[in-house]
Amino acid sequence: MHLLEVENLTKRFGGLTALKNVDFHIDEGEMVGIIGPNGAGKTTLFNLISGLLKPDSGAVKLRGENITGLAPHKIVNKGIARTFQIVRPFRHLPVIANVMVALKSPRGARKIEWLKTMERKAADMLEDVGLSELMLEPAENVGHGDLKRLEMAKALATEPDLLMLDEPFGGLNPLETDFLIKSIMRMHLDEPSRGIVIVEHKLYALMQIVERVIVLHQGEKIAEGTPEEIAKNKKVIEVYMGKGM
Amino acid sequence: MRLVKSYLRRAYSSFVAHVFDVPPRFMAFLLFLTLLVLPLAGLDTYYLSMLTYANVIAIFAVSWDLLVGRTGQISLGHALFFGIGGYATGFLSKNLGIPIWVTIPLAVLVGCLTAFLIGFPCLRVKGPYLALITMAFPLIVWRVIKWVPLYPLFGGERGIIGLPSFFPALSGSIVAMNARVQAEYYLTLLVLFVCSVIIYKIANSRTGIVFMSILDDELASKACGINVTKYKLMSFTISGLFATLAGCMFAHLFGRTATPSMFELTLSFIPVVVTFLGGIGTIYGPIVGAYVYAIVDRYFLTILVPKLVDVPPWFQHAKLLIFIFIVLLLIIKWPRGVARFTTDRLEDLEEARDLDERGPRIWKRYKTRKKK
Amino acid sequence: MVIEEILVYGAISGGVYALLALGFTLIYGVSGVVNLAHGSFYMLGAYMFFIFGTLGFLGSEPILASILALILSVLFVGILGGIMYRLVIHPIIGDDVAVMVATVCVALIFQQLVLLGFGTSFPPVRWPEGSFVHESTQILGVTVQYSRILAFMVSLGLFGCLLMFITKSKIGKAMRAASQDREVAMLMGINTERLYMLAMVVSAMLAAVASIFITASTSMSAGAYMWLHPLGLSFSIVILGGLGSIKGSLLGGFIIGYAEQAVAIAVPEGGAIIGVVPLTVMLLVLLLRPKGLFGKRVELEE
Repeated sequence: MHLLEVENLTKRFGGLTALKNVDFHIDEGEMVGIIGPNGAGKTTLFNLISGLLKPDSGAVKLRGENITGLAPHKIVNKGIARTFQIVRPFRHLPVIANVMVALKSPRGARKIEWLKTMERKAADMLEDVGLSELMLEPAENVGHGDLKRLEMAKALATEPDLLMLDEPFGGLNPLETDFLIKSIMRMHLDEPSRGIVIVEHKLYALMQIVERVIVLHQGEKIAEGTPEEIAKNKKVIEVYMGKGM
Repeated sequence: MRLVKSYLRRAYSSFVAHVFDVPPRFMAFLLFLTLLVLPLAGLDTYYLSMLTYANVIAIFAVSWDLLVGRTGQISLGHALFFGIGGYATGFLSKNLGIPIWVTIPLAVLVGCLTAFLIGFPCLRVKGPYLALITMAFPLIVWRVIKWVPLYPLFGGERGIIGLPSFFPALSGSIVAMNARVQAEYYLTLLVLFVCSVIIYKIANSRTGIVFMSILDDELASKACGINVTKYKLMSFTISGLFATLAGCMFAHLFGRTATPSMFELTLSFIPVVVTFLGGIGTIYGPIVGAYVYAIVDRYFLTILVPKLVDVPPWFQHAKLLIFIFIVLLLIIKWPRGVARFTTDRLEDLEEARDLDERGPRIWKRYKTRKKK
Repeated sequence: MVIEEILVYGAISGGVYALLALGFTLIYGVSGVVNLAHGSFYMLGAYMFFIFGTLGFLGSEPILASILALILSVLFVGILGGIMYRLVIHPIIGDDVAVMVATVCVALIFQQLVLLGFGTSFPPVRWPEGSFVHESTQILGVTVQYSRILAFMVSLGLFGCLLMFITKSKIGKAMRAASQDREVAMLMGINTERLYMLAMVVSAMLAAVASIFITASTSMSAGAYMWLHPLGLSFSIVILGGLGSIKGSLLGGFIIGYAEQAVAIAVPEGGAIIGVVPLTVMLLVLLLRPKGLFGKRVELEE
């Protein structure tokens, strides 16, 4: 049984078809990337899986259970967590409180070890992503790169079985990019059964991490394979570079 | 001008650093202490009842602020709970003869139930829709409660009159009446204190953190696995609880009646105005605002100004107008509340000081910040 | 008999209510402002008509004087709307909560001013005596005064004019652009501040027109608290029809007009609580279908 199954997912916005019959699956412990030119429907796909949008047709299944159209918070509590392309911190709360919100969710609260307090666990998570110094700083005072890490910590707080990252490398300088690549690899080693899906534009960073790549274009899946295969795939090159190269 | 400002800033910094570095909670405690001894200082009963009024309004406003300032759900119809409080306790105590200390909890229960029931539809919508829907409820009740066929139950336009007082034993002589006013003052002060502490504790608990997350970014909160509707409902119900309590107290203390005017838009508006005045999203904000309102309304405009200036006969009616006008000006200039603006500025000043002298001060600053 | 009454009166109410709601939805659609002082513009329209009408400088020809009073009142209220926008709303346009609170403040200020100026008296607002509008005719066997028919026709006429204005004119197109996506409209060089002010002016004028025609054909007097009912009507209709939708205001206006008349006529002592009707309808809509009939803003996610 696959960890995540996306079956013939279709979503229309008025006259525009954002996603058309998208179909793929993710297994436990897999690292998958989703790429495609702008407007291909990648974020819409994430929104559909995480419950922010309801599809017009098709289904999303988590470990065989149909989770299509469930409320977003329920989906999180079933084990899918995501980050946002444009970070969404809780501006008025200090960094540690940001993580505590996720720990207050039913799933997050369940995952706190015996004898550990919520604050302790939040502090530990912040240490894992390297944000210990900024623990008590209001999120609105924190810089972009650190906010991205906070976003990650919030997603990890519920210990998801499937982690979805929406353009995690956006706006990061080479040093931060490198650090993030290492963090994601370490995450993978720490939790081998966790599936990770990453939508990303920075292909050179993405290709180092993932085992499999899915390519979307104008709402449809046009290719799927290992990074090497995709890099050589004529159709993909065409779509990114335009014809006649 | 800039030179003056920077000089003032440095003066303030050094003043605070050397003289005044007390945590805000201690200040609040001192304030309550002051309020506690006021009657003993021989304050006139008129002023005492003015402060009693302020206390009741403060409870009302604090309840509103929990909902709006902490969870971000706009309610322009809090009079609904206020009126329910008054009418429930009025009906039970006057028409059914049940003693006050039973009717008030019952009334509060009714208020909570109402909040819970209307919470479901209300909280599914956001922003302007929510404001309108909350505005609608008390308006509907206001009309229905005056409906002629319901006269035997609710007394129509007149309302329910002759509610029992809190201290029926203290009546008859002037001395007893004075004692009664003092007792009422202490009662409301006590209730205000308890309410403030409870709401403070909630706001600073982990649940309070979730409330603030909903205020900041509801969607992100959902993405953290929070059942936002559940928390909104919680906040709505707690807010309704205290608002109903305020209504109960008001009915038994001022005029001993429950009138349809308790559902009026103007009354819904009082906690809004008062909280804006004082500062949204804080505990002291609504309390300060309530006191300012009571003092301005019942002292400045009713006593002081007529003494200083020859006021025309229509001045009585102009009081509300003047007050609202001032509030409007304040909203335009400081949309987040005057007291809040002031404390924000003060905090900025403090930050400037920290940057000047690093070291142990910064850690202490962080410690007090944690209490958000 | 009851059915015919409801049919006829419902239609008439509906038409005028649609105009009233149009103003409300216009300013919300274009600028996102929930103008809780909309009912106040309604009230002021009626009062200004009274003031201009009785000041006597409009000449002795009653019909002409009425028309002049009408025009002057509407213009006056429109200008007032523009001033209110500039002074009160524009400085805080970003903060939705503050704007709503501020507009309620303004509404209360107007209420108090009226109380101060007129006390608890009810100044008359009526068409000149003896003119044909006080005659009645029969529609479907129901006696209907011409004044109400006039109100109906003027309302629909204005509604149509405004619809044409919004669809055909350049400013109208700018308004529609702004109502679809404010930021893009700004980026395209549309001066949103002036557009919003214009929307407010038009909105206020619509309220004033509706007011004068409704009041002169029904209660024929003005009161300091008369702004509450139209406000309730406005936002109920707009929520029913969908915030920002013009079609919605039209259809919603009729639905609520009919509902109100049904309650007033069929329910004993119904007249006293007709104010409940629009509000209850609104509650039902928000419970069952918050978008309304043609609503565009779906509160799914930001």
